[in-house]
Amino acid sequence: MNTKKTISYSEAMAEVEEILEKIENEELDVDELAEKVQRVSVLLKICKDKLTKTNEQVEQILKEMEN
Amino acid sequence: MDQKLTLSELNKQIGEVLAGAFPVGVWVIGEISELKENRNGHCYLELIEKQGNEIVARSRATIWSYTFRMLKPYFETTTGQLFSQGIKILVQVSVEFHPSFGLSLNIRDIDPVYTVGDMALQRNEIINRLKAEGVFDMNRELDLPLVPQKIAIISSSTAAGYLDFINQLQNNPQGYKFYTKLFPATMQGVETVPTIISALEKIYRYEDFFDAVVVIRGGGATADLSSFDNYDLAYHITQFPVPVITGIGHEKDDTIIDLVAHTRLKTPTAVAEFLIAGVDRFAIKLREFESGIIQYAREILTEKQNELEEAATSLSYIVKSYISAKNSQLGKTGTRMLYSVRHFSMLKVQHSARLKNQIFPALKVLFTVKRNEVEQKTVYLKHDIQRIFLKRKMVADQLNQRIGQLSEKMLEREKERLHFNENTLRLISPANVLKRGYTITLREGKIVKSVENMNVGEQIETHFSDGKIESRIIKKEKK
Repeated sequence: MNTKKTISYSEAMAEVEEILEKIENEELDVDELAEKVQRVSVLLKICKDKLTKTNEQVEQILKEMEN
Repeated sequence: MDQKLTLSELNKQIGEVLAGAFPVGVWVIGEISELKENRNGHCYLELIEKQGNEIVARSRATIWSYTFRMLKPYFETTTGQLFSQGIKILVQVSVEFHPSFGLSLNIRDIDPVYTVGDMALQRNEIINRLKAEGVFDMNRELDLPLVPQKIAIISSSTAAGYLDFINQLQNNPQGYKFYTKLFPATMQGVETVPTIISALEKIYRYEDFFDAVVVIRGGGATADLSSFDNYDLAYHITQFPVPVITGIGHEKDDTIIDLVAHTRLKTPTAVAEFLIAGVDRFAIKLREFESGIIQYAREILTEKQNELEEAATSLSYIVKSYISAKNSQLGKTGTRMLYSVRHFSMLKVQHSARLKNQIFPALKVLFTVKRNEVEQKTVYLKHDIQRIFLKRKMVADQLNQRIGQLSEKMLEREKERLHFNENTLRLISPANVLKRGYTITLREGKIVKSVENMNVGEQIETHFSDGKIESRIIKKEKK
């Protein structure tokens, strides 16, 4: 997963939900757990940042649009 | 040709006839094809009648300003519809014929109910057509993205509704970031449909970029709903690949574009709230996930920790009991071994003592027997030695006697032999031999008895009875 910056909300959520489901169904062993929790927190952070922080790339696309 | 009229006289007569024909005015249905309001407030119109796309009748009409001032608001508030071109109206007219301007219908009254009915009819026709074409629900069936953050706005940049919308969106208390882009359109009048369609076409080029399209128009202005009850516009919206949200500021029945839009809201403000709430739902979900994952992880860790502790406890118990079991086993074994060893050694001691007791008498007996044997043999041996000694002495004595007798005889004989030998010796002495002409040859001090190993050139010594010579071998010949 090196697409952290461009991952979409729905992709991130799908991954988070998949991990949560695995945790709930106790499919993960303890060793994986830490890694997955870490991954979820990274994904959640990316989403939270996207909600409130300005993405310059997006701004740039808007600027380049014709009226 | 008895009577000749001037054009003005004719027109005047036509006017009088027409006035007489429609003395109290007449109710006429027509569609406004043109509409102009001049500076004085008079309204000039062109009314037409269509059959299909063909115009089958056309007439000019006027509404004088004092009538128009009352009539226009009455119509617009009753119908929710601008008094503008493209609508069908039922009006009471007086037919007038002006000598220089010709025929004109002067509108005195209007029946808005007709227009409402006609609009409703048209609206139903459009709805039925969209449904028949199977497109009516298409935009509504699109999924609004999880987070509607990139918004294309179709509105008029000068519209109050637009600015309110932008303000509300950008200054949301949660600080969510919205990306907005205005695609300007005229939001009322005849330009509404073409400009909105044109804006949609521009947005279409960025369909992957935008999460939603909002069509907004400030409230307060007199409603011009007929523009939004348009088949072409509605069709474009149904076909649009991005969800369309409307907020076109009216309280009346939904227009057709409201019906076909993904989400229909009354005002631009409501649209902004809707978008913020959408992002908020996602943010709440994020927080839930966040606390959820922490809780799950904590529960699992606690559970695993408990399991581990239990395992550790039971392991230590098992190990202890195992060790103590082995310990006591070892103790027992040790004791048993000690006992065994003692018992064994005791047995061995007893056994060896028994053996000793048996051996001693046996040894004594053996010793006595052997000693007796030796003593007896000693006696025998002494006897034997004495006997042999005596026997030998006798033989020796006899021999002595014989030796004495023999010695004298031998002495005589040896004296004679010695004398003879002296002569022989004299003959074979080397000196005498040399005197007789024999010589002795030596090489390197040794007597040479053979020509074997003698080499030409070697030095030899030849001894004579009276001296010696040294010579060198010059020839060798073997017999």
